[in-house]
Amino acid sequence: MAKQYDVLFRLLLLGDSGVGKTCLLCRFTDNEFHSSHISTIGVDFKMKTLEIDGIKVRIQIWDTAGQERYQTITKQYYRRAQGIFLVYDITSERSFQHIMKWASDVDEYAPDKVQKILIGNKSDEEQKRQVPKMHGDKLAKTYGMDFFETSACTNYNIKESFTRLTELVLQANRKELDGLRVSIDEDLGIANLEEEEDQCDSAANAQKACWC
Amino acid sequence: MAAPSLVLLIDRSLFARKVKEPRPLEQREPGWKLFGKVPLREASVKDPRKIQKEYETRSGRPGNLASPKQSVRKNLDFEPLSTTALILEDRPANLPAKPAEEAQKHRQQYEEMVAQAKKREMKEAQKRRKQLEDRCRLEESIGNAALTWNQEILPNWETMCTSRRVRELWWQGVPPSVRGRVWSLAIGNDLNITHELYSICLARAREKWKAMPASGSDTDGEDAGLSVADKEASLELIKLDISRTFPSLCIFQKGGPYHDMLHSILGAYTCYRPDVGYVQGMSFIAAVFILNLDTADAFMAFTNLLNKPCQMAFFRVDHSLMLTYFAAFEVFFEENLPKLFAHFKSNNLSPDIYLIDWIFTLYSKSLPLDLACRVWDVFCRDGDEFLFRTALGILKLYEDILTQMDFIHNAQFLTKLPEDISGDALFAAIATVQMHSKNKKWAQVLQTLQKEERGSPVLKH
Repeated sequence: MAKQYDVLFRLLLLGDSGVGKTCLLCRFTDNEFHSSHISTIGVDFKMKTLEIDGIKVRIQIWDTAGQERYQTITKQYYRRAQGIFLVYDITSERSFQHIMKWASDVDEYAPDKVQKILIGNKSDEEQKRQVPKMHGDKLAKTYGMDFFETSACTNYNIKESFTRLTELVLQANRKELDGLRVSIDEDLGIANLEEEEDQCDSAANAQKACWC
Repeated sequence: MAAPSLVLLIDRSLFARKVKEPRPLEQREPGWKLFGKVPLREASVKDPRKIQKEYETRSGRPGNLASPKQSVRKNLDFEPLSTTALILEDRPANLPAKPAEEAQKHRQQYEEMVAQAKKREMKEAQKRRKQLEDRCRLEESIGNAALTWNQEILPNWETMCTSRRVRELWWQGVPPSVRGRVWSLAIGNDLNITHELYSICLARAREKWKAMPASGSDTDGEDAGLSVADKEASLELIKLDISRTFPSLCIFQKGGPYHDMLHSILGAYTCYRPDVGYVQGMSFIAAVFILNLDTADAFMAFTNLLNKPCQMAFFRVDHSLMLTYFAAFEVFFEENLPKLFAHFKSNNLSPDIYLIDWIFTLYSKSLPLDLACRVWDVFCRDGDEFLFRTALGILKLYEDILTQMDFIHNAQFLTKLPEDISGDALFAAIATVQMHSKNKKWAQVLQTLQKEERGSPVLKH
């Protein structure tokens, strides 16, 4: 059976409650925007296939609950991610300050190779802005991340930021990808490796029901 | 053609019996609108007798062209679909006429099309009639059940609530009119919550809202394990979440009729249990109580329910205890659905991925609300075991689909269940789930695992 994609990546959306993680995602995968959204409890999933440099990349996006209390649960998902969006709300200084905490958790729990980008969402609400764009730029620079201001409402920079993170993840996994380019005709790609790796993971986990 | 009139008779008698269930008018509209329009427009171009003849063939009885609207409206027991409203026309006068053979062929094709469409419509009409009958029956049984609950069971709660007959009736779903009371009684009031206590907590919450600065983030100061900033965030989060609770119902949002009630209950709870505070998911539970009880009684049921061991473990996010619940769930998962269990394992799909949402909101977010209430009914009867049994019921109901999908499709499916999930099918599936593993019941399995957990601190983080 032909694969619908060549490579599979998992991206994670992190950030405080109400910054618009689910909205970003809905805009990206379904091109929809609802001003009244249902809260995310635990984690929700979406996926989309992008084509980058002729490679079909399937991205699984894990959309997590933002409340601090839930981090005990969501932290265990960090290690399964290759890319992470750190999202704040430009109309909430607090959500911006919390980025530091989110970032340090990522450093602690996510794989070393994980790619991160910083997102300042709700850029359409200029009149309520609390976080100057400069501050976002500066913070991103300190962490060595790319930075986008986005608006799920007006569909501003959504596709760009998702594509950018996917590219970064692709680059970071270049070694495996070079192998993929050679073997693409032989129908043996990183996607297969990826799934095998998953299976090893689960075999290891099978001994004790613990996923952290 | 006698069939349509027969259908009509049956349909009428149904309506006579059940006047409460008129079909919505707008559903009928397109039917007669189409027919009302077409003959009128065509009348100038086409021989009226011909139209009438066609119309008669269609409706199976001599029509009255003078008032087609009325007659169709009265006599049609189903809405004509666009195909049956199709009218065969000759070529316009400015074009050469069709050869006789072709005209004959077209007429035949036309008749076949109409006949087929009619067949389809008959089937549809039959289906609708069956739905209506089912609904009547259901309403009747709900009415009867409400009587039984009101007159026999509720007045003698203590003696009757464990009887076999009541338990069976309970399984079929508690009638909405007595639901709130049954839940309250079944949940009990171990915490001795009174209406006064609720007022006190609410007053305290109001003071806090007033004192709360518009924004701020001082992080110093620890109180009962929660920082000031966290508490503030918690109050702000309540506001945010209220508008994100059942947004489709449009009753909890700002300006909606239940907005203040939900705000009050959640605020009062954070004052009653500052050590737990507000945790996402609670707003859904409180909302379901509000839909079935008065505010103070909803608060009473809400606090007592959250005080149950399983709910406490989850809302305090006691991770190791949650893992124990998941482990117990997996014991019964493997026992009941070994194939699917293996499939999930090999796809690295752990139960936390779907159970967290289900348990934190007690299915009120993932199942249609009326079905979620039915799950709550039996949950109130059987306790936390039933939450996990329901999960297995869902997995069992969709086992065939789930075994064929990969991780992401399964995760998406389970975190967003089909909206048309049938309550009867789900409860039939739940009924077949065995909550015995090697002669051990749910509570025993859970206890054993808890003991093991305590005995191996290595697993803790």
